[in-house]
Amino acid sequence: MEHATTKPFLRRLGWAELLKHATLIITCILLFFPFLLMLQMSLKTQKQIIFELFKIKSPFHYDNYAKAFREIWPLVGNSFMMAIISVVLSVFLASLAGYAFARLRFPFKNLLFAIFFLKMLIPGVANLIPSYKLALHLGILDTYLPVILFCAGTTMPFWVFVMRTFIEQQPKELFESMRIDGAKEWKIFSELAFPLMRAMVVLMSINVFTFIWNDYIWPLVTIPTNTALYPITLGLARLATLYKGQLGVLTAGYTLACIPLLILFIFTMRHFIDGLTSGSVKM
Amino acid sequence: MITTRKPKMKLSDYFQRGKNRTETAMGLLFVLPAAFFCILFDWYPTFDGVLMAFYDWNGYDTPIFVGIQNFIDLFAHDELFLKSMKNMTIFVIGGLVLMFPTIIASVVLFRVRNSKAKYVYRVLFCIPMVIPFIVGLLMWQYIYNPQFGFLNQFLKLIGLESLRGVWLGDADLAIWSLLFMGFPWVTTGAVLIYIGGLQAVDSSIWEVSELDGVGPVKKFFALEFPLILGQFKLNLIGAITAGVTGYTLQMIMTNGGPAFSTLVPGLYMYQLAFKSQRYGDAAAISIVLFAVSLLLSWVSIKFIKSKED
Repeated sequence: MEHATTKPFLRRLGWAELLKHATLIITCILLFFPFLLMLQMSLKTQKQIIFELFKIKSPFHYDNYAKAFREIWPLVGNSFMMAIISVVLSVFLASLAGYAFARLRFPFKNLLFAIFFLKMLIPGVANLIPSYKLALHLGILDTYLPVILFCAGTTMPFWVFVMRTFIEQQPKELFESMRIDGAKEWKIFSELAFPLMRAMVVLMSINVFTFIWNDYIWPLVTIPTNTALYPITLGLARLATLYKGQLGVLTAGYTLACIPLLILFIFTMRHFIDGLTSGSVKM
Repeated sequence: MITTRKPKMKLSDYFQRGKNRTETAMGLLFVLPAAFFCILFDWYPTFDGVLMAFYDWNGYDTPIFVGIQNFIDLFAHDELFLKSMKNMTIFVIGGLVLMFPTIIASVVLFRVRNSKAKYVYRVLFCIPMVIPFIVGLLMWQYIYNPQFGFLNQFLKLIGLESLRGVWLGDADLAIWSLLFMGFPWVTTGAVLIYIGGLQAVDSSIWEVSELDGVGPVKKFFALEFPLILGQFKLNLIGAITAGVTGYTLQMIMTNGGPAFSTLVPGLYMYQLAFKSQRYGDAAAISIVLFAVSLLLSWVSIKFIKSKED
């Protein structure tokens, strides 16, 4: 059966196609290699890792996961709290402002818009130390707040711009007719503008979420002593030194730390791919 | 730049009783919170950072104004800073060269005929993006582990025991080991962006090239690469900025060692500020890095533009 289908299939495919697939498959294997290694190590004891790294055989040590779970769970919780609050706050602020800039009349509009537009041109690569100083003076070190507040501040320029452009592209009449019906501005925003912006909101949420999920240096600086608040990034780096002699438990921990975002990805896959492949990300 | 429904309103018109006044109030209410966050947590640190570079500050005493002394110290007396700039150059050049496997992978993926297979590859390429980057780094830390790391065990397995090394612990090898880490250097997020660029093009262009019998290599230089130049420029600026100002990799993997062989200016800045409490000197490094990344980005974009003509 298999033989009968492969031959014409190969001929139809041709050498050029075969070469392309081979390149991509090898690339994928190499890309996933560290993570495949991680998976198979996570079921081994330290002895098995040192002496039988290349053998995939039982006994599998699922208890690595039980041990790692206790350590990873609070980290995942911390990262989730910081990421979700950051997403909600910054998406709310950016979509409100973007809508107002696109559809409302108010004084100093150009001046206010320049606050966001100009900041896009001057990136904040030198912000770390002065931001730390500000957080120190505000007395918010060793809390979630620096991560959340500074994230909301620094995501504004780009995303207010994106949201405004998006709303401007929508037909004006939609908003006018609702206004004529006597709807309040808040209602127009919450029932018309925000749902219209859904695609952008999803894109921004994914963007902000993964940014916080992967941020290392800013939480390291602003959570100097309270390890109970460590996000995944800092926590895993800390565990890597604490569990140096228990690679099985450690890699089980790494695996567990990957799961939440993978689940999120499964649900948002379409938006994720569509957003990046829309062809609009360029200069 | 901004479209208004009615031409020219006087400032006082906005505050007339009734509809205008409500709209003004709501507009400001909607915009000001975002503006507040942007000013306090983004603009203010940017300005403060420029000021700090001209002061000496240890974190608690009153800052002392020292003019451009911090900058003079860096370039005239600070050997570590100069060493870190040299290392940075290697990372930047490495980063630029290693952009090309990504482009090649993107074009190969784009040329795959079977659209179902294409979709599967795209989904697979998304997965590395949702794995926390720290996990990748820590796995590579294990791969390079000199005692029972994967690399040394693998070399032993295939009979190349003599090639075993201490990798990140070797001052001559550490920087190259760090550059090798992204192997096979395909940034999957960038692949999707490039694919997006290629898909956005009118499909008749591919049919024409098919008819003309353009070879695969020529097709790349004549068609595909020029078409994704916009995406390439964006990624180029990203790569330059990351190479000049980034240091998370070095911080986690080697902390700048051994013997400062992987120290980059960003990491040096971090150490000056948060380990030695020399915030002024650290802020000066930030400003230098900011200027360097801006200059390099500007020059490379200019260079590409002139090539286009």
